[in-house]
Amino acid sequence: MANIVLDKLGKRFPNGFEAVKDLSLEIEEAELLVLVGPSGCGKTTALRMIAGLEDISSGDLYIGGKRVNDVLERDRDIAMVFQNYALYPHMTVAQNIAFSLKLAKRPKSEIQQRVQETAQLLGLEELLDRRPKQLSGGQRQRVAMGRAIIREPQVFLMDEPLSNLDAQLRVHMRGEIEAIQKRLGVTTVYVTHDQIEAMTMGDRVAVLRSGELQQVDAPTHVYDHPTNLFVAGFIGSPPMNLARGTIEGRDGGQIVRMGSSAIPIPAEVVHERKLDTWAGREVIVGIRPEDIEGPPENGRDDDPVTIEATIDRVEALGADILGFFTIDAAPVKSEAIAEATGGGLEEVSLITREGTPFCATFEPRSGLRRGDRVDVTIDVRRLHFFDPESENAIGP
Amino acid sequence: MRKIRRWGPGLLLVSPSILLVAIFVYGLIGWNAKVSLSDWRQAQQTSGFDTSAYGELFPSGVGELGDYAGAVITGKQSDTLSTDPAWIIDLHHALLFTLAFVLGTLFIGATLAFLLDKGVKGEGFFRAIYLFPMAVSFIAAGVVWRWLMNPAPGDRSTGFNLLFDKLGIGFLANDWYLGPTWGAAALAIPAMWALSGYIMALYLAGFRGVPEELREAARMDGASEWRVYRHVVFPHLRPVTLAALIILGHISIKVFDLIVAIGGKQLITQTPAVYMWILIYDARDYAKGAAIATLLLIGISVLIIPYLVYTIRSERET
Amino acid sequence: MSSTSVAVDRTVGLRRRKQAQARVVKYAALLFAAVVVLLPVYVLLVASFKGAGEADPSRAWALPQAWTLDAWREAWNGDQYGLFPYLKNSLKLVIPATIISTIVGSLNGFVLSRWRFPGADLVFLFLLFGMFIPYQAVMIPLTQIFIDVDFPEGIPRLAFAHIVYGIPITTLIFRSYYATIPEDLIEAARMDRAGMLRTYWSVVLPISAPAFVVTAIWQFTSIWNDFLFAVFIVTDPASWPVTVALNNTTGSLVTPYNVQMAAALIASLPTLIVYILLGRYFMRGLMAGALKG
Repeated sequence: MANIVLDKLGKRFPNGFEAVKDLSLEIEEAELLVLVGPSGCGKTTALRMIAGLEDISSGDLYIGGKRVNDVLERDRDIAMVFQNYALYPHMTVAQNIAFSLKLAKRPKSEIQQRVQETAQLLGLEELLDRRPKQLSGGQRQRVAMGRAIIREPQVFLMDEPLSNLDAQLRVHMRGEIEAIQKRLGVTTVYVTHDQIEAMTMGDRVAVLRSGELQQVDAPTHVYDHPTNLFVAGFIGSPPMNLARGTIEGRDGGQIVRMGSSAIPIPAEVVHERKLDTWAGREVIVGIRPEDIEGPPENGRDDDPVTIEATIDRVEALGADILGFFTIDAAPVKSEAIAEATGGGLEEVSLITREGTPFCATFEPRSGLRRGDRVDVTIDVRRLHFFDPESENAIGP
Repeated sequence: MRKIRRWGPGLLLVSPSILLVAIFVYGLIGWNAKVSLSDWRQAQQTSGFDTSAYGELFPSGVGELGDYAGAVITGKQSDTLSTDPAWIIDLHHALLFTLAFVLGTLFIGATLAFLLDKGVKGEGFFRAIYLFPMAVSFIAAGVVWRWLMNPAPGDRSTGFNLLFDKLGIGFLANDWYLGPTWGAAALAIPAMWALSGYIMALYLAGFRGVPEELREAARMDGASEWRVYRHVVFPHLRPVTLAALIILGHISIKVFDLIVAIGGKQLITQTPAVYMWILIYDARDYAKGAAIATLLLIGISVLIIPYLVYTIRSERET
Repeated sequence: MSSTSVAVDRTVGLRRRKQAQARVVKYAALLFAAVVVLLPVYVLLVASFKGAGEADPSRAWALPQAWTLDAWREAWNGDQYGLFPYLKNSLKLVIPATIISTIVGSLNGFVLSRWRFPGADLVFLFLLFGMFIPYQAVMIPLTQIFIDVDFPEGIPRLAFAHIVYGIPITTLIFRSYYATIPEDLIEAARMDRAGMLRTYWSVVLPISAPAFVVTAIWQFTSIWNDFLFAVFIVTDPASWPVTVALNNTTGSLVTPYNVQMAAALIASLPTLIVYILLGRYFMRGLMAGALKG
């Protein structure tokens, strides 16, 4: 097992395009690190540089403490699972898995035994004599994994291995891959564009945008403390609600004024993030949909902060109800957000109201309907604040 | 590029081919060009630099240019021209042949593809028939076509002339490839027979490469079937026509087997490629033979090189 | 019925009739073209089965009154015109030349598309241009080189020439075909620690069958039907391949025309058989050679 160190890794293609810029990351032994980001963010290029399938333009790559920039891919002791599986079409499942061992001239008995073990690990015993075209997508995916696992390499690289599978199968395979990785304890770099996969699978998540690293941390930390607007908008589904507001002082404390709403900020939040230095200035306010709820129950002893909302649209998901309403605060126009959410927030809204669309989660049996006027509760301890110019989070 | 270890073996594997082509294509072409500029006119090889071979093939001055062009176009010699009269005739024949062959084959091939495009019963059967001439050598084909285009009239008529007579259209009988004016064009007929199927295959692939959705969208927008062809399908075929023109043009310049099979070494069917053969084998005029070969090569290069570059570039873009 | 539906019926009927008419015209044209294309075959067959007595030109289009194989026998191994020894020469030429040039093309095509090196595209263009030169231009120096290095005379020289000048087209066909292999398949082999030759042998070659068939058929046909190379390179008549022998037989005015036709058929038989049995691969070779623009 080995650790991987990327030291200011960069990739510039012959046509001038810089896919990866100054990427520095340290991946611990036996860790599963997820590289996540929208299409074109450079995650696959970075993965291929680690594999040795792309030349490194600048920076250094270390595997197991050894600098491997000039080492050929075959000598790096790395196994890779490709997005489209890349199974050898004319070989059986057993032959596909055994291929690397055959090339290494291992004795037949050893190859047979290891193929059996690997097949058992992945539930492929019945399929060993089939050809790839006779297999389903999920089965092919497992064969691709088997081919990688049997090599017992220092590092696994996985390039969006689940993106070609049906949604239900994907959920199932996520767990399988994670279990196998934990069991084998091999350092793994996993690339995906699906932020749910990133959140559920990684020991740590590294968010990339346009070739640059935005944040790398444990999933919950990235979720709760995004370092900038892009990460905030990218991680989390449905995405974080964002609006423009101004910090104002009132009654000895601070509030944030969004449109006609004045939302008090708890003192500890002000203190933690030094929001008093922001008094009078414009900020971007963020709050996740699950941190906005329906009307407060009677008999609560804290002072719940509510906003009046008229529901424009309802999405009943079964486990939740999403309610969409508009607040009269100025919307956030940011390229980062457009990129992070695939352009959703910038689209023309069919509801001709001024303001910013917001989303909140409601109890599934609340019977919420379009047109309802409700007081939504905002969990002010979970407010996020961002500097409108730098788009960085305001905070510790 | 630092990773020589990776791509080195590839280069090594291809290097014998590179070497062989460098010698036997480019090297020999160079040698040929050198000979064309020498005075190796008879069996004795001397080593002087001499452009007399080219001199006999080109007009000697701008003044002669008009006469030269006129003679080539009309096939009538001009006494004032100082160039090789056989060469003028060859060029004239080549011109006629090329026009007839290229235009004829394009038209027939495109038409056949157009008829087959929508799918007909027995399409495979028709396609197999139209393509089969590609499997036959020009020599074997020449045997039949020489007989079919036999110019003998009346009682001794045979081939097409006889057929026309029997079908009551005897007035169509003519001298075919021995005809003094249009003989070279008649030679294009077997060539058309041989190549139309290929052009048809090209166009058929072109027609079928038009996504059905485009045609459907046009129909939904109210276009008649003819309009669909004109505005959606035909523009798609421009690259095919370009490829076909290039391929046919280059074949036309090179054509040798067919002419020899039908007309042998007669002047009345001679083209530059055949003349070159005669000069080298019979007259042993190596410099002139090489000069003609060089001119053929230049003619082909003008067609092919831009086309190759264009193809590789558009391949890179996709 | 209302007047609108009558009008609609009339236009529908009119359109149907027009479509039917168009279809008739279409089939008629296609059939006419087919007849024209097959005309030479008819002539060849009919003439080849006629005896010496039916050589009268005025009977040229009629079926034989007395079907006979005399012309065939004469053309096959008759003392004067027999093609049999020349068929053997052609076979000795075509088989090794096809095999070798196909293998070379496969290796080249693989490297130039899937195991590239800097300048691979330029090398490809460099090789490709060789396909378009007028071969007459290089025949003389080529024969001179053969003499200078004392290359074994006759068929071996011809085979060598076909292999060398076949490099462009065979490389083209394989390169086009291998371009359809997904790159990640090759990358997976590389990650499995396969080198270039290993990747070719274990991963690429097993899925190359269609390209091999297409190239082999194309080369077989081109080499069998070639006249230009043979007439320049093979000087000893005993070593002539069948195309040169055929031209010699049929060029002479003395040869009876039923024998000429039979000879032409015999000379064309192998390529025709290949075409009939494997025609669709033939088509694919044509398309690859077209440099689709």
